[in-house]
Amino acid sequence: MSDNFQGEIMKSQNPFYHRVNGVTQSKAKDLIGFVFLKNRTLFTLCNSVFQILFISVLTLTPAGLFAQTLGHDKMVDILKGIDLRIRSGGDYKALVYLEQHQKDKPDIAQEALVYRRDIDQKLMILFTKPKTDAGKGYLRVDRNLWYYDPSVGKWERRTDRERIGGTDSDREDFDQSNLAEQYDPQFVGEEKLGSFTVWHLKLTVKSGIDVAYPLVEFWVDEATGNYLKRQDFALSGRLMRTSYDPKWDKLYSDAKKDYLWFPHEIHIYDEIDKGNSTLVIIQSVDLSTLPENMFTKAWLETKSR
Amino acid sequence: MTQLFLIAFRNLLSHGRRTLFLGGAIAGVTTLLVFLGCLSSGVKQTMLESALTVATGDMNVGGYYKVTAGQSAPLVTDYKKIQDIVEKTLPDIDFVTARGRGWARLVSDQNSMQVGIAGVDMAHEPRLPKVLKMKEGKVADLAKPGNVLIFESQAKKLKVKTGDSMVFSVLTDRGVNNTVDVRVCGVAEDMGLLTSWNVFLPQETLNKLDQTNDTTTGALLIYLKNRGRIPKDMDLLRKTLTGAGYDVVDRSSKAFWIKMQEVSKEEWTGQKLDITSWDDEISYVTWTLSAIDGLSFLLTSVLLVIIAVGIMNSLWIAIRERTREIGTLRAIGMRRRLVMLMFIMEAFCLGVMGTALGAVLGSLLAVILNAVQVPVPTGAQFFTMSSTLKFALEPARILGSMAVITLCCTVVSMIPSLKAARMKPVTAISHVG
Repeated sequence: MSDNFQGEIMKSQNPFYHRVNGVTQSKAKDLIGFVFLKNRTLFTLCNSVFQILFISVLTLTPAGLFAQTLGHDKMVDILKGIDLRIRSGGDYKALVYLEQHQKDKPDIAQEALVYRRDIDQKLMILFTKPKTDAGKGYLRVDRNLWYYDPSVGKWERRTDRERIGGTDSDREDFDQSNLAEQYDPQFVGEEKLGSFTVWHLKLTVKSGIDVAYPLVEFWVDEATGNYLKRQDFALSGRLMRTSYDPKWDKLYSDAKKDYLWFPHEIHIYDEIDKGNSTLVIIQSVDLSTLPENMFTKAWLETKSR
Repeated sequence: MTQLFLIAFRNLLSHGRRTLFLGGAIAGVTTLLVFLGCLSSGVKQTMLESALTVATGDMNVGGYYKVTAGQSAPLVTDYKKIQDIVEKTLPDIDFVTARGRGWARLVSDQNSMQVGIAGVDMAHEPRLPKVLKMKEGKVADLAKPGNVLIFESQAKKLKVKTGDSMVFSVLTDRGVNNTVDVRVCGVAEDMGLLTSWNVFLPQETLNKLDQTNDTTTGALLIYLKNRGRIPKDMDLLRKTLTGAGYDVVDRSSKAFWIKMQEVSKEEWTGQKLDITSWDDEISYVTWTLSAIDGLSFLLTSVLLVIIAVGIMNSLWIAIRERTREIGTLRAIGMRRRLVMLMFIMEAFCLGVMGTALGAVLGSLLAVILNAVQVPVPTGAQFFTMSSTLKFALEPARILGSMAVITLCCTVVSMIPSLKAARMKPVTAISHVG
């Protein structure tokens, strides 16, 4: 990870960072306004039609330039690329470390095993540490997420968008993605994220599709095609969380006949409840074939005992 | 009978120390029973008051709506039709109001907490402005969309005051994250435990947050003129709604949010209604009342046994001391029944005087503690339902306590009295001791 990008993450921990960013954006708007005013003095003799045309050209030029840089099809390809890179052709098992920082509360650290069978859209998360959480688990069956607590010995149907283990992460952070199917991309610009040159994309959910965040912004590394930063917005347009995926690893999958990419670290920052954040570290990934009958309640219960 | 009463009373006076000791013990137990009774009544009143303000009507028509088998929401769709049926069916309605139900994370600049939301339409909430005691702001401002009314303890936790901005963050029933910005329009005084996690929001704002339309609500809260009719009215409403083609879930004395977890496991989809009473909706906290009443019963029983032994002992002594007197009375023609009644009367008088004193002391203690407003530690508030100790003096309950203790005293005195009555006059007169 470059120092600059590390700095970017550090900045994001500062609750004022986004406001600073906001000020920068408003300064940019002021600059456009200044140019506009200067132009107005220059073209006072011109008729109003010319002025309108001038303003339109001035406003649309950057968008037009970017549109030439990255078209819609190219953006969809980028999203498909992300989906494809994350998707495993066969089975997937990862050891995951979760660290939750909460304002005015002690930090919580957990360790879990994540099992996936992407072809069947199956997912299971089994907590292994600490002792108090060991045996708890989530199982995705069709569109339902089930939660098992061995101390109660009962399964509870939970929402698919449940915060995993009480952290800021959700099921989608551990699962395969369907960005190209769920969202319509819009190009925002080519930007610098630390020392990385990135494409900044704004994704809006397609009509008729239910997702946790109807608006998502991605910063995709031009060089690798991996996203480095993601911002999730609520239906109201409010920023809910920012996550950084600074390090990506790859592993060759025999089933997929290609590399499987996974983020080594995910830093998630709660943008509503400032001060809360989660660190997810994917410590090891194993792509060996898992037992056939694994993704069942019975299997998880057995492991929980 | 008057003579017997006079004999009993004089006898009590002549044995001042013994009477004082036993009467004091009876007064002590009565004080405790009256005091705990006042506490239990106080908790019940606080519970009822806060429940009827925050969470429930005397009766409710709530419901569950399931888009898919796995996702249920506490919603009543097309509620105005149901409200019409309710108003036409029930004869003694005071008023009916529609309240939205929801949960969300309420976030301030300083802190956040999970809250239950009551979506209100102030035009149809005649009770709310009367019962909410405001610390800051106005209840009427709840009519404006985007305002929120919170309670004192919440304001303290969230570190906000009237005029401050906050954000509600929620995962809607369709699983989409949504937020709404609100302004604190008022801070009301706490009304027990229920107000520690419930807030009021205009229905319009709740609809915006939960992405529901204005024909949908959480529940119809029905306030009755006569609360005694609740069981009959519930049966009547159930029959009428079922007859009108609505699916109504089976009666279960649980709060709607507890039932919702069970409903989520069921396979049906669509709308089902649920008719509940106020005590169903707060059943998860009424165990505190049972705990207080249970504790009162246990303590009083133990103390009553001790007193009973004391009374029996003292009567044994009295009989022994007055054996010759009993013999003389029997010799001049007093019947056995009257001898027995004489001793029973003594215990009865002792009981009445002791319990009367105890009732006065217990009531006085409750009144003083009410006036002092003794703060309750946070942990204990789960039992007391209030941040300060509250006592309610219910004459019927106090008289009941007095009656029970006096009856116990009288009953236990029957055994030694019976022995006194069975004495032979000759033996009794010649008794030396």
